[in-house]
Amino acid sequence: MSFELHLKTEEVIRAHPADAVCVDPHDSVRSVLHRMKEERTGSVLITSEEKLVGIFTERDALKLLARGADLETPIRDAMVANPVTVLVSDTVSKAISIMSHGGYRRLPVVDEAGHAISILKVSGILRYLVEHFPDVVYTLPPEPHHHTKTREGA
Amino acid sequence: MIACPSCGHENIEGTDECEQCQQPIGDAYLPPPTSSVEEGLLTERVAVLNPKVPITVEVSDTVQQVLDILVNKGIGCVVVVDQGRPVGIFSEHDALMRLNTDTPASKDRPVVDFMTPNPRMLDNEAKVAFATQRMDLDGYRHIPITDRDGALQGIVSVRDILRYLTDKLASEQQAS
Repeated sequence: MSFELHLKTEEVIRAHPADAVCVDPHDSVRSVLHRMKEERTGSVLITSEEKLVGIFTERDALKLLARGADLETPIRDAMVANPVTVLVSDTVSKAISIMSHGGYRRLPVVDEAGHAISILKVSGILRYLVEHFPDVVYTLPPEPHHHTKTREGA
Repeated sequence: MIACPSCGHENIEGTDECEQCQQPIGDAYLPPPTSSVEEGLLTERVAVLNPKVPITVEVSDTVQQVLDILVNKGIGCVVVVDQGRPVGIFSEHDALMRLNTDTPASKDRPVVDFMTPNPRMLDNEAKVAFATQRMDLDGYRHIPITDRDGALQGIVSVRDILRYLTDKLASEQQAS
């Protein structure tokens, strides 16, 4: 089977989507920032009755922190509402296309009913692509110009 | 002559290991590239990724100054330099993980206190495969590119690598 066939038929689940950290629209920006640090994640999904209503990323956090915004604001007023998403049944190829055209680094993955399932990141796509030529990437020495000073150890 | 896949040193054909870096050469070490993507990864150097000119800040610049630069220039990270030498990276991820809700109290402190020190860098002769490996295995989003003397030349991001890979794949599919 050719690579082309994989890319256009395999679903986004193969591109290592990360578990979504979900918060409530009424949670304060402060509590969401703490949660992101605890979970060591660069993005959270905002859900209401399990349905995706928004996304808040470290880029959004940066802008708030830079201007000294009020952190008691509810996250629903700071999130990006109705974000661009992919469906669990969408292909990796489609996800790559949406990411590169829209300049997105993360895409929430939702099911047909709009429930937040996971989050697809550019790093997951990279890993997916790299897995197709692992010999080239994984069998490299630790440094690109690894020079051994002497031929013999002693 | 055959170029060493690790350091680029030209070796006599049939040699088992590189005369310069002692890394094994040949089929036993790496399978021959089976596609233009694999060949590109192994032969092309990071310059092909068009490393962007990095935005730099001084170690003494304040957190507030650096946050404003990240926002106003629409970038995800800056390289922190000391007397022209790169000594760290400060990214929006660092802002979230290290400053978080303490930002107001820390805004006048120097960025050197919050940066990721000693970033892994690659020199501009490194192959694309190395940058890809770093990004994937180490989870780096940005890699500063230097010349052989360690002077900062550019920065590549995970998106540059993704674009490179998808462009290669697309042209390979067109050709087939």
